[in-house]
Amino acid sequence: MSLTIYGQQLDSRLLIGSALYPSPEIMKKTIIASGSQVVTLSLKRQNPTEQSGQKIWQYLQEVVSQVDGHLLPNTAGCKTAKEAVTLAKMSQEIFKTDWIKLEVIGDDYNLQPDPIELLYAAEELLNDGFKVLPYCTDDLVLCQRLYDLGCQVIMPWASPIGTGKGLMNPYNLETIRLRLPQATLILDAGIGKPSDACLAMEMGYDGVLLNSAVALADNPVIMAKAFSQALQAGEQGYIAGIMEQRQTAHSSTPTLDTPFWHQN
Amino acid sequence: MNIHINGQAYPINHEAKVTVSAALALYFIEPQQSTFAVAVNGDFVSREDYDHTSVKNGDSIDVLLPIQGG
Repeated sequence: MSLTIYGQQLDSRLLIGSALYPSPEIMKKTIIASGSQVVTLSLKRQNPTEQSGQKIWQYLQEVVSQVDGHLLPNTAGCKTAKEAVTLAKMSQEIFKTDWIKLEVIGDDYNLQPDPIELLYAAEELLNDGFKVLPYCTDDLVLCQRLYDLGCQVIMPWASPIGTGKGLMNPYNLETIRLRLPQATLILDAGIGKPSDACLAMEMGYDGVLLNSAVALADNPVIMAKAFSQALQAGEQGYIAGIMEQRQTAHSSTPTLDTPFWHQN
Repeated sequence: MNIHINGQAYPINHEAKVTVSAALALYFIEPQQSTFAVAVNGDFVSREDYDHTSVKNGDSIDVLLPIQGG
């Protein structure tokens, strides 16, 4: 059970967010329980004399170090390619990583990614040497364009961020998997329950990125373990080969010498 | 003359331009002790360029720090 992101091999196929937890301590326990080695985080306006930001940063560094993990900064809140590129460069300076979860939001209502600005930003960041992980809609052609630009990892949404609605369009997601067999596909956003993650893995997805589903659970630590197990179950199911659905019933028990059988 | 740092106006008197380093000193002390990144008018300015980059009246500086994110 390993995932490769831009040549970096990871033991877990789960990528996890660091936001919305009831406390920093629960965040730390949850991330460790999840087994994830990729933790997302962000940047925002703050005055450095207010030490809360520095403390959070120190805490996140400790957590990531403890799980031998990697930071994945995002460009949350950006609405244009220019904003996203600037934020990516600021993140690179602070976090010392060329990985960037590229988010460019096109609509405030459902936080739907802007596909056009996303492509512009991805192209510029790839040219600047970033390893771009674009968060995008489940549009096959958009995913294809991102892959053709050089994004080795594509992250289509399951449903809008934070909704927990699960996989809105399984057909779209299956088609992306079918048409982009070489891409590393990570399902991002909208995951609500472990079975959602399991379903993505059964489709052949390479991983899942989530935050709210664990952070907003009654018990985030247990939920993180549940997601970890769900990913493993889904992956094993995909590897094992799932039987084809059939239109009619077929008896599982052999019909030869059925008791009390008689010819009508 | 005013510059804006994280949306707040800061007056700077008697000078046409100041460096990013000088402007940041208006906002907080001991910047070398903190983890942050800077953009001026929406463009990234790397830490090594703070002393060589000027800001002028009406310019806007963003000072960003790490936070949790999804």
